[in-house]
Amino acid sequence: MSCIGVSHLSKSYGSTKAVDDISLSVRPGQVFGFLGPNGAGKSTTIKMLTTLIPPSEGSLSILGIDAVADPLRVRHKIGVVLQQPSYEPTLSVEKSFDKYGMMWDVPKKERKKRTEQLILDFDLEHIRKKRNEDLSIGQRRRVQVAREFMHDMDLLFLDEPTVGLDPGARRKLLDYLKKKVETGLTIFYTTHILSEAEYLCDEIAIIDRGRIVTVDTPDALKSRFGNKKTIRIRLQEKRQDVQGMLSGISDCEIDFEGGTNITIHSEQSEMVLLRVLETLSNNSVDIEDLSAVPTNLEEIFLRMVRDAPDN
Amino acid sequence: MHPIIRLVNRNITISLNPGFLIWQIIFPLIYIFVAGFAYAPLISNVPFGTKDLDYPAFLASGMIGFNIMNSTLVSGIIIWNDRRHGMFEQIMSGPFTRSHYILSNICTIGVIGLASASLIALVGYPVFFESVEFSLATIPIIVFGAITGSILFGSLASIISTRLRSSEGFNVVINTVFLFFAFVSTAFYPAQGVPEPLRTAFFLNPLTYLVDVIRAGIFGSITEFVILEMLVLAGMAAILFVIASKLLTRLDF
Repeated sequence: MSCIGVSHLSKSYGSTKAVDDISLSVRPGQVFGFLGPNGAGKSTTIKMLTTLIPPSEGSLSILGIDAVADPLRVRHKIGVVLQQPSYEPTLSVEKSFDKYGMMWDVPKKERKKRTEQLILDFDLEHIRKKRNEDLSIGQRRRVQVAREFMHDMDLLFLDEPTVGLDPGARRKLLDYLKKKVETGLTIFYTTHILSEAEYLCDEIAIIDRGRIVTVDTPDALKSRFGNKKTIRIRLQEKRQDVQGMLSGISDCEIDFEGGTNITIHSEQSEMVLLRVLETLSNNSVDIEDLSAVPTNLEEIFLRMVRDAPDN
Repeated sequence: MHPIIRLVNRNITISLNPGFLIWQIIFPLIYIFVAGFAYAPLISNVPFGTKDLDYPAFLASGMIGFNIMNSTLVSGIIIWNDRRHGMFEQIMSGPFTRSHYILSNICTIGVIGLASASLIALVGYPVFFESVEFSLATIPIIVFGAITGSILFGSLASIISTRLRSSEGFNVVINTVFLFFAFVSTAFYPAQGVPEPLRTAFFLNPLTYLVDVIRAGIFGSITEFVILEMLVLAGMAAILFVIASKLLTRLDF
């Protein structure tokens, strides 16, 4: 049984389709990454999956429950950390944990125990007495994510949970999530930070303009696109004529940016690079920096979104 | 524990901050003991139903209705804060329905309204105890007034909170509306002798009906007019409650 089963799901606002006929399946105990550029439909999808908004079309099963017919039953079994901050401004961190646990009907003794554990796990000791409204954005985000673990759940939705966190706190959170997954929790995770998805996710879906472009494991995605290498060249000076110089080179895709940055994608990168260097040298174009970039998720993501139909 | 009780518990916890308590206690005390006695030489006995009340007793009983109205601001503030600070979506993605949320707000208003009315009644008792006529019939009238008044003003504050997003807009509108209700009513002074357009405005104001019903309950002067006022109060509370519920149901994420 899949943890999330989505079939031909769409959401329309008037004539605009925010989500257009998506289907996906998430297995229990995995971290499923959901990536896409701004406005791709990630948040609308997450709002449908968390039963906040009903879909216009399609079927939606969460933990084996029909989420459209019985949203309340779904909500009892899931945890949600939405993209926007959510907090009780006048309550202290520890009080807000306690009240949140109470809202989820967690017994008082258990709430106390969990509050202490979360304060420890998320490094919140020094701010435990501070009111939420007095916290920094990063602290507030950490508290918001930590608070969700006050209650039990089978499936956790995290919508860009690391926004505002410093690198240390970000890594700590990712490691905490990995540990939770080992205990059987399933996570649906959206992010803009591709290295995070690569580090955390077992499977990744890329959405663009409301449609799923691809679904695969990070390794499979990399091997699918790994035969193409990426070479980056930075010129010493801005040269507007460089695009024309390199236009005759075949077997590659060349992107130009700002007159000084050249990015080359090719399956025959060595040959192409030689020809590029020769052409630049013949035209007295000086190079400041040259690097070969291993194929990473970010490159794949950018390529998938750029190559998607309609783009 | 039932979801509504859990939400009421949470609502009361987040509402009971020192600022709110000062507003709820100090403010009416100043009115009752400073304005009440300071204006007493200027305003002689005030006729109310079959009774003649001295001004401090009249004002202290009016302050009960006034305080109920003020306390129900909490409802609007809770909804507005929940929307502003992301808690509305958070609650709605938790083990609650919109009905739970709406009903919990109504219950919160009822609890705070009753507590507020009891508090002012207790504090004001030394001022109006000579004229008090409690009976088995009058106490339910006071409770009825407190609950329907709470629902009425709480619904109104909820309606305002669902329509406004900016804190400035919310504060300006809510303070203007409630200032009008407070001073264009019989909470502070009697309608008798007030110039005509203003007198009519007094009776277009639900706070007038609320304080009249509360006074009738306290001083045991239940007339046909008071019964009419109770019906108007209940009718208005029902209408505003339906509108507030509909708006809250349609509130978008």
